[in-house]
Amino acid sequence: MSWRKWNFVLHRDLGYLCIGLTLLYGISGLAVNHTSHAFNPSYTIETQKGQVSPLPSGKVPDMSYVNQCLAELSITAQFKNVAMLNPETIRIFVEGNTIDVIVATGETIKEKIERRPLLFGINYLHLNKGKGTWTWVADIYALAICLLALTGLFMIRSKGRRRALFLTTIGFLCPLLYLLLKPS
Amino acid sequence: MKKNSLFLLVLFFLSVTTCFATMQLGAPLTLQEVTKVSEINKHPDQYLGKQVLIEGLIINVCAARGCWMDIASDVPFEKIKIKVVDGEIVFPLEAKGQTARVEGIVEAVHLTEDQARSMARHHAEKSGEKVDLSTIKGPTTYYRIRGLGAEIN
Repeated sequence: MSWRKWNFVLHRDLGYLCIGLTLLYGISGLAVNHTSHAFNPSYTIETQKGQVSPLPSGKVPDMSYVNQCLAELSITAQFKNVAMLNPETIRIFVEGNTIDVIVATGETIKEKIERRPLLFGINYLHLNKGKGTWTWVADIYALAICLLALTGLFMIRSKGRRRALFLTTIGFLCPLLYLLLKPS
Repeated sequence: MKKNSLFLLVLFFLSVTTCFATMQLGAPLTLQEVTKVSEINKHPDQYLGKQVLIEGLIINVCAARGCWMDIASDVPFEKIKIKVVDGEIVFPLEAKGQTARVEGIVEAVHLTEDQARSMARHHAEKSGEKVDLSTIKGPTTYYRIRGLGAEIN
């Protein structure tokens, strides 16, 4: 078999192997590219204001007050912990929710956290949060797409050479021009 | 091809599910003796640059990247920030309300007046707390721990 045929087989099979992971990294890439304090790509975070009975003046917040707050807010999720953030605010942690209670006024801010379906998993892999085995898989994938690009380069036929070179050059120029022109 | 696809699929789900069972993040903990957060806050200069092990309740986690978390002190209303290199360790948002043992190096962060105001403004926007920016006068320094490893229970 000629080298061109080997190159074609390698490019084709690597292409098949990389489809799944390329989609995974691509979709996750879109999501994590837009990470900000207003958008977490892996979790949905909802905040909601509410009201409970204020703590009578002179009283120190205790577990009965915490339970009363949870009952008034109709929160049945499993209780995790409670912390006194400052003399005015307690933070109650329950499974999936964090509730800040301003004890003097009874005002509450509930923060509900939920994993985004699908995105949580693929971001976990893309950002390599698990390390270990996945580092190997990701490294092999990175090498595979480099090979995919190189074998693709050698698939250029004389007929469409000009177009191929033009598009390949654009591909290289995009990041280079950005780096050269970006404000320091 | 089918075998390869199946292998990758199994690996995908194994990685996602098994990794959540362990809450060991970053480098394994090496220190045995726990330093109280209140001690570090009280005498930060004594601990500056030193590696310490602390433990406490996680009261806040970075909502964008999981790149920091606040650990409550053993003294009421006090806390200390654990900052990690983005991506090196990612603190899960669900960790809020759990206890953590964290090992890291105490460091000082020096802020100009503008930086301190900007940070306070950002914190106020995020937390909904009222902050009086006029109280920030001149450069400030705060102390935090550069996290190397953590165990979340």
